[in-house]
Amino acid sequence: MSENRVSVSRLRWDDYILEAILVALCVLLAFTAPGFATMNNVLNVLRNTSMQGIIALGMTIVIISGEIDLSVGSAVAFAGSLTAVLTKKLAAAGLSLPAAIAIAGVTTLATGFSFGVLAGLIRNKFKVPTFIITLASMTALSGFSMIITKGFPVSPFPEWFNFIGGGYLFGVPFPAIVFLLIFLLMLFLIRNTTFGRAVYAVGGNEEAARLSGISVFFTKTAALGLTSMLASLSGIMVAAQIMSGTPTTAKGWELDVISAVIIGGASLSGGTGTISGTFVGMLFLGVLINGMTLLNINQFWQYVVRGGLILGAVLLNQIKTMSARR
Amino acid sequence: MGEYKLEIEHITKVFPGTVALADFSARFEGGKVHALIGKNGSGKSTLVKICSAALQPTSGTIKVDGKAVSMRAPSDALAKGLAVVYQELSLIPEITVVENILLGRLPKKKGFPRISIDWAAACRQAETILQSVGSDIPLRVKVKKLSIGQQQVVEIAKAMSFNPSVLILDEPTSALARNETEGLFKVIRNLKEKGVAILYVTHRLHELYDIADTVSVLRDGKYVGSVEAAQATPQIIVDLMFGETIQRQRPQNLSFQEKVVLEVKDLSSGNHFRHVSFSLRQGEILGIAGMMGSGRTELLRSIFGIERFNPGGSIIVDGTVVKSPTPILMKKLGVAMTPENRKKEGIVEALSVHANLCLASLKAIARGNLLSKKREKPFVAEAIEKLGIKVADARNLISSLSGGNQQKVVVGKWLNTKPKIILFDEPSRGIDVVAKQQIFQIMWDLSHEGISSLFVSTELEELIEVSHRILVMKHGQIVDEVQAEEVSIDRLYAMCMEG
Repeated sequence: MSENRVSVSRLRWDDYILEAILVALCVLLAFTAPGFATMNNVLNVLRNTSMQGIIALGMTIVIISGEIDLSVGSAVAFAGSLTAVLTKKLAAAGLSLPAAIAIAGVTTLATGFSFGVLAGLIRNKFKVPTFIITLASMTALSGFSMIITKGFPVSPFPEWFNFIGGGYLFGVPFPAIVFLLIFLLMLFLIRNTTFGRAVYAVGGNEEAARLSGISVFFTKTAALGLTSMLASLSGIMVAAQIMSGTPTTAKGWELDVISAVIIGGASLSGGTGTISGTFVGMLFLGVLINGMTLLNINQFWQYVVRGGLILGAVLLNQIKTMSARR
Repeated sequence: MGEYKLEIEHITKVFPGTVALADFSARFEGGKVHALIGKNGSGKSTLVKICSAALQPTSGTIKVDGKAVSMRAPSDALAKGLAVVYQELSLIPEITVVENILLGRLPKKKGFPRISIDWAAACRQAETILQSVGSDIPLRVKVKKLSIGQQQVVEIAKAMSFNPSVLILDEPTSALARNETEGLFKVIRNLKEKGVAILYVTHRLHELYDIADTVSVLRDGKYVGSVEAAQATPQIIVDLMFGETIQRQRPQNLSFQEKVVLEVKDLSSGNHFRHVSFSLRQGEILGIAGMMGSGRTELLRSIFGIERFNPGGSIIVDGTVVKSPTPILMKKLGVAMTPENRKKEGIVEALSVHANLCLASLKAIARGNLLSKKREKPFVAEAIEKLGIKVADARNLISSLSGGNQQKVVVGKWLNTKPKIILFDEPSRGIDVVAKQQIFQIMWDLSHEGISSLFVSTELEELIEVSHRILVMKHGQIVDEVQAEEVSIDRLYAMCMEG
């Protein structure tokens, strides 16, 4: 929670409360939950959080810039479906499977990116809030997934494709490696580029940013395009993991993703939030769910606890800002 | 009549850093219109807010009808007989006149459960109130359909429905056309007959003779005196308002070059301003004088591309003709702007001083869009040093700074873009005297470096102190031009107000 150190007066212990609680939780679970502190389980948690985590990193930038993207869950299902359907069609047209998958994958990523850009264009031109735009695209994309797959899983993938979603590299789940790489990339983007600074400025005070000669349109549209593309990447990896393009996957992911960003300290009104905060927020959610499952806690109660986590983390942040103002 | 409806005794109001009202005492009779005047920052609005209990005085007493009243919230003020109508209307546009007048007090039908509104009774009540102020505004139309003048009357009717002893009107005519003003004056005269004491805050001297019985003047938070309106010549009033004006630290060696850096040609914008043309020379500080609503702020914003101007006009920056400016384009051409509303448009409160100082020059500081703290540091340090920004650590949030220092950060942010021209829109608003003087010093220093300034201010003394030359703007047009060293404050005031 500290890469934006320029905006923090100095390092304070209470900037790390969330991290401290996470560590405490891990220690607690190591002693109480059978099998929590095994390598296997740690890798499992990493794999499970990485699919959503990739999207959450992009969502952080969207939220800091003062916007929101509700369509990421549907975008995951759509991306998987599109990749599968395209691969099937291209292979049927005589292309080799690797070539078909490569073309399908790139097309899917480009489509995802352009959905985000389209949302940015509508936001800029007609001043429709992204909440509404992405609510619409969330619904529509879910429909498109059904249309192109005719409602059933499409499975044209060869065995080796599973690596992208379910494989290991040096003993680490491949999606976790992707998650870490994108984490570092986003960290760099938000810290060390003019785009990163513009994101904070636009989200913190759009008018002041505009009058400082910063392009509000470019900044927000780039953030939306990036997130939409990351959701598509996640969708391809999910499809590889379950070896099919399935139109019903990733239902409700947008809420998990947004929760992680909020737990990580971002404010929905824009201007504040950090990439590392989201990373911790995502891990927090993953560890909590994993721990509860190992402890055999009833599924229904798990939801209650997750709800408590979201509210608790936000209250924590709120109390912190309120006491800082005093 | 004759008895004092409102007595203000030794009211003092201290804000952090400034004293807005210093031991203010005055008494106001019923059945009269008392104009309350004073330049910006004289304490008028603070006084109005204390009377409406929107602010609590640091010390002192307010008496209504001879009785001391203690008020904690605006609803108390109404209950004690003090009603205030603010400059910005507080009506709800989407509901009808009746509902607005009786907001929160609509009569209910008898019987259980008393929840349905008795519209017949409501209309009767509202009608009576409107008649008592002498108005025939239709009752059942939505407020948004009314003219601003009619809305002002509805607002007054709403205030009068509480039967106040004292009615305070805060610049009621600032948004009105001339014929609407006359309608409003009729309503005010009508209320006067009923024995209400009316406090009338205004900037417009010529209105005083039409409507006021007495004129009371505030200066620097103190009550300077009051005169009968009939005997108040403009000279007497201006003398009371400004006291003895002193020329302050204006440097002797202010000069500028012949070269024109900015030319504005035939700029018009809707009903804000018309056919504005002028030119600005290198190193010159050009002031624009004009009252609120004269179009000066809109002019500045149009030049910087924040607002659009009508096709046909053009701006020439250093030889480049610009037909439709945007902030991004103007920045490229070497133009900078410090906006009027610092908090809303000048700074990003959630960010540090460091981040705010780099905000406008990110592309210039970065190499190939890549930034690093190391590369930014000299820009930040130089601005802090040069402008004397008081901050312990540049990583501190900008919101922890005083208004004056925040303003310096806004200036510094633009100096980092290496501008040739800076547009200053009310740069001294809400900052203390020392900081003001420092901002002026910065403008003079910039002038020496050959950077030109366009300087808009409500404070006429400031314009005279700081500028080389002053354009006088009235009703959207530039009506006159004077040399700052040759004009007196009274003369300039008269030029802005007359007609």
